[in-house]
Amino acid sequence: MSLTATDIHVKLGRKEILHGIDFAARAGEVTAIVGPNGSGKTTLLRAITGELAYTGKVQINGQDCASMKPHELAMTRAVLPQAANLAFPFTVLEVVRLGLTAGLASSRPDTSDTLPLQALARVGLTGFEGRYFHDLSGGEKQRVQLARVLVQIWEPVLDGQPRWLFLDEPVSALDIGHQLVVMQLAQDYARAGGGVVAVMHDLNLTAMFADQITLIDAGSVRAHGTPQQVLTNDTLSAAYHCKLQVNTPPPMGGAWILPQAAHLN
Amino acid sequence: MVAADATSLTQTAQRRGGDRRRLSQLLSVILIVVLAAAMLLSLGWGAADQTDVLAALVGEGSLRDQIIIWDIRMPRMLTAALVGASLAVSGAVMQGLFRNPLADPGLVGVSAGAGFGAVVAIVLGGFLPVTVAAAVGKYSVPFAAFIGGWITTLLLYAVATRGGRTSVATMLLAGIALGALIGAFMGLLVYYADDNQLRDLTFWSMGSVAGASWEKLSASAPLIILTLIAAPFLARALNALTLGEAAAHHLGIDVQKMKRIAIMTVAASIGASTAVTGGIGFVGIVVPHLLRLVQGPDHRGLLINGALLGAIILLLADAISRVVIAPAELPIGIVMAAIGGPFFLWILLKNRNLVEM
Repeated sequence: MSLTATDIHVKLGRKEILHGIDFAARAGEVTAIVGPNGSGKTTLLRAITGELAYTGKVQINGQDCASMKPHELAMTRAVLPQAANLAFPFTVLEVVRLGLTAGLASSRPDTSDTLPLQALARVGLTGFEGRYFHDLSGGEKQRVQLARVLVQIWEPVLDGQPRWLFLDEPVSALDIGHQLVVMQLAQDYARAGGGVVAVMHDLNLTAMFADQITLIDAGSVRAHGTPQQVLTNDTLSAAYHCKLQVNTPPPMGGAWILPQAAHLN
Repeated sequence: MVAADATSLTQTAQRRGGDRRRLSQLLSVILIVVLAAAMLLSLGWGAADQTDVLAALVGEGSLRDQIIIWDIRMPRMLTAALVGASLAVSGAVMQGLFRNPLADPGLVGVSAGAGFGAVVAIVLGGFLPVTVAAAVGKYSVPFAAFIGGWITTLLLYAVATRGGRTSVATMLLAGIALGALIGAFMGLLVYYADDNQLRDLTFWSMGSVAGASWEKLSASAPLIILTLIAAPFLARALNALTLGEAAAHHLGIDVQKMKRIAIMTVAASIGASTAVTGGIGFVGIVVPHLLRLVQGPDHRGLLINGALLGAIILLLADAISRVVIAPAELPIGIVMAAIGGPFFLWILLKNRNLVEM
């Protein structure tokens, strides 16, 4: 079971942002979308999740997204936004419970009380349920939103179909400890049979957690493959227009990308 | 396992307890509505104390008392209650739709648009062919007010909302611009109106339940009741919309459809209430704000309790309007403006950051 996007074009105003992108992700894996600022990685995620108008075809588990109703989509995939502000003073628990709006949970009242609390525990926010959302720090807000998204698609596999977690820069507001918590959570979701697609800025976290990487540059796919295939000196240096050194330090065994400032040369 | 069962049992019990508490709250609020209504029935010039009212209600008592109670005070009381409910609910829906606690149909020109529609129907109604006029009959004024409110809401939404976000500044400024434009057209109609119509026009600008009658009420009530029933079904979608349009879409809400329904609901309820009472301000902003302080911003409670609290507020305002300068009466719109204006300033002082959004 997989997610495929074929020949995706996106125009914002008159400017074409994505020039025919092919993208694929498999359930059971974390697929990262990386690329420099303005390359179109968030735009690609927004097109795939139906937030932006696009031409091309997006299929989830073999079904054309364009033909799926909003509530069917909501049962199949959940999307973590970059940042969100609320218009009204909702508490943390009320925000997380919004994840139950997606339909299924209302038909299983036995878990609709416990699920939000379980989700808050998963993101390390036990005890926060009564706090006001707008009083929280940026990183805490991000994790509350993640808990809400988890509630929406709690089981990674439902009726034999994998469900999909889309994350738009999930760790951008987080400290280094919570970055690991959130990425580990994403990896666990994939290992349990779900699919995870994450737009990432941090190449080193990407190297640690991604199974597949798609590198976008100037609205086109520059490279796609495993971290070993994509994270190379030449590919990265060309995409990011700076000198980057990819190493594999012994204790990790994975790639480690070191920026090379000009004055060090 | 045992511990988990115990936890879930406790939570179920808590939920039941919460349900029961909500039910008793709802019942006590309904009781207050009934009491306020009863008070209003026995208040005013002419008849009579509570026993006379009771007698008239069950068909006893003098003919004069019966006429006063049944033909004057009853439609007036029902009008105040229904219009209060309708204004409060449309305020809450509009705030949810615009994702903005300052959106109020009266402040941003929707009531003005509805009033304009009603005035057009009154002034130009005479030019309609007799057969058409007979066909649309008493419903022409509420319907025209609905169309006026609808067009204004659509315009406002188109101008003030971009990419699912509404700027408060743009919304209020657009409201001022629309209000000025509507004022210009109103001026034109005033210029062409005859004396009778002029009196009606003045009535629109102030807002009053004094002219309430069974005929006016029966023309507007079906539309108002329809929107009061429809609004709570928007609650889940409005809650999701709090996160923004994209997030609501990802949660499985058909955002475009829901927005269309919400705009229609606001327009219908404002149109129908403006047609019967003229523009009454601030109910739509005072009631939802008070409720959010008490029960939180969840629209499921807001839209039901809002209707009840809106009814109470307008019943009380009507009572005040009758006693302040008795035996004369203040238009209820003036009473609401005198209460609502300072209240609105207080909200602004407390939430200055809202305006900078």
